[in-house]
Amino acid sequence: MANMAAETAAPAGSVPSGALPRGAWRPLAILLLGLAVLAAAGYASLMFGAVRLSPGEVWSGLTSPEDVFARNVVWQIRYPRLLDAMIVGAGLAVSGALLQGVTRNPLADPTILGVTAACGLASASLIVYDPQSPQWAIAAACVVGGLVGAGVLYVIAWRGAVSPLRLTLAGVALSAFFGAAIVGLLASSRTFLQTSLGFLAGGLYGSEWRDLWAALPWFAGGLAAAVLLAGRLNILALGDDVAAGLGLLTDRTRLMVLAVVGILTAAAVSIAGLVSFVGLVCPHIARYTVGSDNRLVIPFSALYGAILVVLADLGARLIIQPAEVPMGIITAAIGAPFLLYLVRFR
Amino acid sequence: MNLTVDHLTLAHGHRVVVHDVSFTVEAGEMVAILGPNGSGKSTLLRGMARLHPPRAGRVLLDGRDIRAMNSRHVARVLAILPQAPAGGLDLTVRELAFRGRYPHQGLLQRVTRRDIDAVEWALDATDSLHLADRPLAALSGGERQRAWIAMALAQEPRILLLDEPTTFLDVAHQIEVMHLLRRLNARGITIVAVLHDLALAGRFTSRIIALREGRLAFDGPPSAVLQPEALERVFGVPMLVLADPDTGLPIPIPRPDPALCPAAPTPAPAQARPGAG
Repeated sequence: MANMAAETAAPAGSVPSGALPRGAWRPLAILLLGLAVLAAAGYASLMFGAVRLSPGEVWSGLTSPEDVFARNVVWQIRYPRLLDAMIVGAGLAVSGALLQGVTRNPLADPTILGVTAACGLASASLIVYDPQSPQWAIAAACVVGGLVGAGVLYVIAWRGAVSPLRLTLAGVALSAFFGAAIVGLLASSRTFLQTSLGFLAGGLYGSEWRDLWAALPWFAGGLAAAVLLAGRLNILALGDDVAAGLGLLTDRTRLMVLAVVGILTAAAVSIAGLVSFVGLVCPHIARYTVGSDNRLVIPFSALYGAILVVLADLGARLIIQPAEVPMGIITAAIGAPFLLYLVRFR
Repeated sequence: MNLTVDHLTLAHGHRVVVHDVSFTVEAGEMVAILGPNGSGKSTLLRGMARLHPPRAGRVLLDGRDIRAMNSRHVARVLAILPQAPAGGLDLTVRELAFRGRYPHQGLLQRVTRRDIDAVEWALDATDSLHLADRPLAALSGGERQRAWIAMALAQEPRILLLDEPTTFLDVAHQIEVMHLLRRLNARGITIVAVLHDLALAGRFTSRIIALREGRLAFDGPPSAVLQPEALERVFGVPMLVLADPDTGLPIPIPRPDPALCPAAPTPAPAQARPGAG
């Protein structure tokens, strides 16, 4: 009966409208809206801080070198800090999206799985060894740490069968181990206690152009690789046997994805230290708004991550003016209840 | 295009589950793999689709070792549907079918006219066109199974391997899936399916490969393999083989202890029961 209905409804050879998966207007509209929010948040973060500027002063600070005061505040301090915030947010959010995709685990996140702490341990080790290390060396150390952390995760979690539970437990253990090592290292070095706090809690205090330039190549390369891996992540989501049957090299794909996670997380940690929960929250919002196709989830996670961290950094500067709270405290204040919500209701 | 299993030995860790099995599936055949639980049939099927690396022996696709071939090239001619795939519940049927185009697509996965045509053909062949825009989570078991078969067909395979495609389905959907496989076979697609249901295997396939403890026990047409003695050796229980009154094909059923059949005070003459086996 179903046979006949289908045959009369759609004669062979005809292609109904909507042959491409899903209409494209909805993601486009959300993209434009998101970019508008990011632009507004960005402009606000250029205006507000210890010194409040008018929109006109921000504009002249961005475009003309004549207004020396505005130029200094906007171009030397707030604008690079804004770009840093966007890289940190996008990098962590895409890392989270990749990890949630590759582990098929909605609780995966570079912080929960210990990748952030591995980056942080490498960078803290370098800074303690040589406090004068240039920023590019710190970024490189973070990348080495991130790749090692991701590699350890792979070896522990994927020896034999894949298990989300096993991965999460391995990550929690790694996170605790690396985190303890960082604190021990910083405590025994006796110096930079103030900066250590900012590093451990995660924040953008004092981040500037050189942080951006050191992280940008890693971030750009990682983001491009993530976008290219999105289609394979879609295939992997069908299950290992289906994916392998479709010709996907599942182990190699997982390794590549984890390497990209290590690099993107490292780019973020090299700028802002240990910022948590951005990678957990943003991919969920992305899937809620544009569906489960990773070719959309990854770019939209980047967008939402950038928005979240720009806003969190703005909040960090405004809450106890003229002092600052570490920005990571604000992302944690948003992210921790969200994690509890996921655990309880999803 | 033929698929040859050549002295294949497969193991899970140290435990060998398929011992030195050899046979060739010729183009256009429809083959059932039977055997009791743990006899290695699923592992054998996975090995035939390069999902399980051999301990010894080879699998040859038109004479070429499948492990030496590019995995995507293999996927363009050989599709496998694992047992009860769990992923993809949030996809629509058409989106799932598009995933089957992966082995044909380039790095950027741009959708071509050929991709669209192959997906529409696969949806049409599985009677899933009217379901195309529904998410898998909203479908019945039989509809979902057809959607997964559509994904495998979108690969445009010459050979389709299926692991227990009728398990978890009610009798109506079992028959529906077997009819679908027969129609695909009539279109020239070689089909190898691991089946639990002996009666379905006897009626819808032309050849049965029976495994027992990982070894090839029987390989032949249903009329030869579905005999009481052969089945008893494979499954280890007394078996009865009836003749289907419509087709004359064998319907094997296990022979119960009459003392444990509450509705039969005296051993009654056995009657064909749908779904037995």
